[in-house]
Amino acid sequence: MDETTFINDLQQGKREAYSRLLDEYQQRVFHTCLSFVPNREDAEDVAQEVFVEVFRSIQKFKGNSKLSTWIYRISTNKSLEFIRKKNTKKRFAFMHSIFGNEIPLDKTSYFTEMNHPGILLENKEKSETIFRAIHQLPEAQRVVFTLHKIDGLSYKEIGEITEKSVSSVESLMFRAKKNLQKILANFYKNES
Amino acid sequence: METSKNIKKKIETTFDVLDTINDVNVSPFFKDKTLQRLYAEKEEVTTAGFGWFTPKLQLATLICILIINVFGIYQMTKTEYDSNITEFAKLYELSGNQQPSLFN
Repeated sequence: MDETTFINDLQQGKREAYSRLLDEYQQRVFHTCLSFVPNREDAEDVAQEVFVEVFRSIQKFKGNSKLSTWIYRISTNKSLEFIRKKNTKKRFAFMHSIFGNEIPLDKTSYFTEMNHPGILLENKEKSETIFRAIHQLPEAQRVVFTLHKIDGLSYKEIGEITEKSVSSVESLMFRAKKNLQKILANFYKNES
Repeated sequence: METSKNIKKKIETTFDVLDTINDVNVSPFFKDKTLQRLYAEKEEVTTAGFGWFTPKLQLATLICILIINVFGIYQMTKTEYDSNITEFAKLYELSGNQQPSLFN
């Protein structure tokens, strides 16, 4: 079955088409979500939101990009949306705690409890450090760095997803690495 | 105080951790849970009462109602209508001034 027929079936809401979509994309979508949100339960929730969004918006899909690129774009946007919401909740809880309301405050600055099942136990501490550092990057740099270094996508693929040229992806990646080095250097200086 | 050489090495090893992350398989129930949610949403959308009454239909209905009203008002205000009524009333002796009264 070619992609056009497959997309038509998705637009008609055929259950078999969605079953095939999940077979083909569930692992990739989950992997992308887990790269941004290093917590299994949260990443699965976000991945589910991605498929719901595909289901709702497939009528608007005009075929200007490949279906996989479009789904990757939704995965990235949904992950960022999740992080923004969690950060807002944290800020809200912090404000409440200032004004004396009894909301239990998690004092860590990270948006979720880190629980990435793919990280080896001996690397747990270092991986937490790098994930926290990535979280401090500006959004555009964070997206490019995460998609390339954690999700393993090529610059070309990232360019298609983020609708940027390969050279701007390279430049964002370069700045992200520089900024991460600065953040980590500060962290290790203060640690000692 | 850590030397800059040590810090540089620590930064490098921290970056290297990203290359050691293993692939994680999605939960075996993910597909079923997601399909169930998608089709539960679909049912919700289709059973929502006035889903069929699209904006296009709403506009067409509004135009029809306006046309009928304008036509009705036009018919009501036509002088011919009044004369027809008077003629009708006369014919069937319904006219108010021709009604015999018991008190006259």
